[in-house]
Amino acid sequence: MPTEKQLLQDLTPEIEKTGIRWYITFSVFFLIFCVGIYALIQQIDKGHIVTGMRDNVVWGLYIVNFIFFMGLSYAGALISGVLHLFHTGWRKPVIRLAELITVISLVIGPFFIFFCIGRLDRLPFLIMYPRIQSPITWDVIAISTDLVGCFLFLYLSLIEDFAILRDYDDLNVSPWKKKLYKVLSLGYSGTEKEKKILTNARNVMAAMIIAIAIIVYSVLAWIFGVTLQPGWHSTIFGPYFVIAAVFSGTGLLIILMWIYRKIYHLEEYITKRHFVNVGVLLTIIAAFYGYFTFSDYLTKWYGSIKMDSMLIDKLFHDYYALFIFANYIGILLPCIIIAFPKFRTIRNITVAAVIAVTALWVNRYIIVIPTLETPFLPIQDTRPDWIRYSPTWIEWSLTLAGISVYGMLFMLVSKIAPIISISEMKEVDKTEIMK
Amino acid sequence: MKEIEENGGESSSRRNFLKKVGIGVGAVSLAGIAGTSVIAGNKSKSGEKVKLLSADGKLVEVDKDDIKPAREIVAELKSEARKGLKGRKFVMVIDLAKCKNARKCVEACQEGHMLPKDHEWMKLYLLQDDHTTARYWFPRPCFHCDKPMCVSVCPVGATFKRDDGIVLIDNQRCIGCKFCMTGCPYSVRVFNWKDPGVKLPPGHVYDPETNIPPVEGTVGKCIFCADKLRNNELPRCVSACPMGVLYFGDLLEDTVTNGNETVRFSKLMTDRAGYRFREDLGTLPSVYYLPPTERSFTVESGLEGNDESVTGRYKNAGPR
Amino acid sequence: MKRKISLTLLLLLLLSLNSLFSFSQEKLKISPYIQLQYFKDNDENSFLKTTLTYSRNRMELPLPGMKIIFYSGPEKKARLAEIVTDDKGVAIYNLNHKSDFLVNKSGLWPFGSVFNGNDTIESGISELLIRDANLIMTLTVIDSIKTIGLNAKKMEKGKEIPVSGEKVTLYVPRMFSLLPIGEATLDESGSASVEFPATLPGDKEGNITIIARFEENAEFGNVEKKSTLKWGLPSTYSVPAGHRALWTKTAPRWMIYTLSVLLAGVWGHYLFALISLIRIRIAAKKKAKEEYRV
Repeated sequence: MPTEKQLLQDLTPEIEKTGIRWYITFSVFFLIFCVGIYALIQQIDKGHIVTGMRDNVVWGLYIVNFIFFMGLSYAGALISGVLHLFHTGWRKPVIRLAELITVISLVIGPFFIFFCIGRLDRLPFLIMYPRIQSPITWDVIAISTDLVGCFLFLYLSLIEDFAILRDYDDLNVSPWKKKLYKVLSLGYSGTEKEKKILTNARNVMAAMIIAIAIIVYSVLAWIFGVTLQPGWHSTIFGPYFVIAAVFSGTGLLIILMWIYRKIYHLEEYITKRHFVNVGVLLTIIAAFYGYFTFSDYLTKWYGSIKMDSMLIDKLFHDYYALFIFANYIGILLPCIIIAFPKFRTIRNITVAAVIAVTALWVNRYIIVIPTLETPFLPIQDTRPDWIRYSPTWIEWSLTLAGISVYGMLFMLVSKIAPIISISEMKEVDKTEIMK
Repeated sequence: MKEIEENGGESSSRRNFLKKVGIGVGAVSLAGIAGTSVIAGNKSKSGEKVKLLSADGKLVEVDKDDIKPAREIVAELKSEARKGLKGRKFVMVIDLAKCKNARKCVEACQEGHMLPKDHEWMKLYLLQDDHTTARYWFPRPCFHCDKPMCVSVCPVGATFKRDDGIVLIDNQRCIGCKFCMTGCPYSVRVFNWKDPGVKLPPGHVYDPETNIPPVEGTVGKCIFCADKLRNNELPRCVSACPMGVLYFGDLLEDTVTNGNETVRFSKLMTDRAGYRFREDLGTLPSVYYLPPTERSFTVESGLEGNDESVTGRYKNAGPR
Repeated sequence: MKRKISLTLLLLLLLSLNSLFSFSQEKLKISPYIQLQYFKDNDENSFLKTTLTYSRNRMELPLPGMKIIFYSGPEKKARLAEIVTDDKGVAIYNLNHKSDFLVNKSGLWPFGSVFNGNDTIESGISELLIRDANLIMTLTVIDSIKTIGLNAKKMEKGKEIPVSGEKVTLYVPRMFSLLPIGEATLDESGSASVEFPATLPGDKEGNITIIARFEENAEFGNVEKKSTLKWGLPSTYSVPAGHRALWTKTAPRWMIYTLSVLLAGVWGHYLFALISLIRIRIAAKKKAKEEYRV
């Protein structure tokens, strides 16, 4: 059993010191973020005409990013939530990471919606004049509920860690941090009674997180599913999006596991076993995801409905490369890498995860845009930007800005809270994870 | 002051009046207090007069009771706009056998609503269902569906369907999320991607029934010229069509007219086999089409007399 | 001799140039279209209407603000009025119930409207010869068929004789225009009957207005008779009050209930978690107090 002392020695240096590498990385992220801000100002000033969106493809990169980032939040739901309720031991080192992914994704995702809205000054109308028959209202309610829930869940799991850090006298941090730990730990002292209350609350919230996550992502899917557009009007969109979200969240988890393991030298805690386990999870979900994708496109392709045939046609001609990457390579490659023990190295599994996450982004793209390019009444226009959608530098910069904010938030959080949950690790049999 | 015309109902005459004074005569601003407009009404007056400066520089004396802030006028106009004309159900019939892409409907609509040239609320398509079937010109206004997908998905209620069948947009409520644009299967709605650069007419008060001017970051579409209907006038496209293609009327009166001919709607449907576009989508449009039979002109004649930005659109027109 | 010839040639040249100039000046003037019409409405009130328009690019455009002079009698003996055209190019002179107009040799009333023209518009004149006619419309139900009976009489040489061979058109006024519902030609006794369509919608109570007209009759002008009665089918369309659907203001009840239950359930659990946090705080404070005491 790793002693608390050992854990603290291994995990607190990151909170105490900030190396030059941290500052450089953060500056790079910040620079990208600033470019994004400049792009946003351009968009607000000149109007949405500076993006690639036009009257037919009214939803472009922003919505793709929105769905993508919201999907990443699934890591928390699965790893923290489901596996928590099943009391799986091996996942303990990665819980914190999963919960952080969830919360940070939920914070960044809605911003992409805001970029897509034509009149940002009227955003409060969503709350002042809501129509509950609209899937966007369902989305507003669901996302705010999810955000609060995930914050609560994260906080509940951080209380014990803050208490440990508060009581660690050798902690060499600035006074404001010490004060922060004191306040946020609520005076928790690990008594039987307190522990029971905390455990109960965490169990309840874990169950809630799972339920909420499914609802949020289904609602997101139904924004597309309830319309009549070919390619969107699909009955399996709800479950399909949920599976895809779990897929992307798991992939990101592997990537972040690799990054933090490398940077903070956590080889003892996050071992090959973790990579393999999460990798296997990825493979299983990839199989489900591939099944859903195949099922969706098979039924579209087989039937004779013209609108479906037109869409399939467009996917296999104009979007051929992207389609193959997202739905074939993105599914098969990770499966192959992880299924064969020979290929299962930490590096390979991470590569598989990168492919999976990228493929999922592309999958979102080819769900949103080709449908809008094949409306019921043909697009009869002479201007090329009104016929085919091509994102402009503004949309790309805001996408990269979103990713950089992701990175920045992670870096900032790692300065306050330990990346591996100390309190959880205390109870783990070290031999269990070393297997 | 002007007389109130009897126009079928107290509410519509009052409304006409609000608009006439608000838009026609010009808003009068109270010296020192910004944003007030004057309406003159038939109410009993208190006798207390106020001197005001009109928009064209004349000194006017008005009864104090009649002064209302513009804000209130807009609120009244908006609530009237949501109610609609009582006891009416508007339909349009488009005779595809007569349309030859004269595009006068498009121009009249753009002029009447101060639209930029690339906004077409009435749009003309050149359709051909299959390479074995006929090509035809297809004018497409908003269908004002009875089961409007666009209204169902609007999160803030900026677009709404009234009892008289017309679907309007309140451009002061629209947040520009464009969900309605993906909801509409007929690509009816257009978005103001940039500042339309339209100067407001003097003394203009916002009214969803005229929907002037287009607002940046919001959605626009054909509104069956709801403002003209209040005055028992036909929509602008209907009056402008030189071929008499567009018929408009009240379904409850079973009558439609194109300005020259007036016929019974039910008779037109049965005699000419009228239908609705993509009836199978179930949105129940209020626009009916008469099949393009026995045309006395070629489809290609519709390409003449238009410039390249128009004719270029139809280069690839064909079966999909 | 040569001088004479050159002088005449010069004169001819000057004359032709002059006529050229005046010709080109005349070319710039607009040639208007003026039309005079006579109307007699349901209350036997008659009026004269003059429409002044011009055509450009195959479109008919009005000429507002122009002075039209109305005359009656042979050779425009009596000057009736001077009316200015409105923004639609229309000038209307109300004849009220007058019937003592000057007649011509055949016993017809001559009417004329003159536009004297100005620098840019040519002059124009339109004339009519009108005989007064009385149109009677009777609405009866014969063998459960709604029938419109028509009868017309005119005064000729002091005697009232029936009008025969003339066309009467029947309309029902609708929101934007008049719907034609039939026409008939009057027989030798000046009568005709037309069947009223059985399935024509009226207003909510079934009221409908029927108009019978002599339309642009060469002899009588426009004579109209109008009547409102309950011959229309009651038009029944009303969105039921309180109707709830996806596109109405209020959502269907099941949606509201489902949403409320879900939200209550989820946020209830959040409340539980929040209370747990408070309980932890209280328990910790209590413990700290105890420790302090000890």
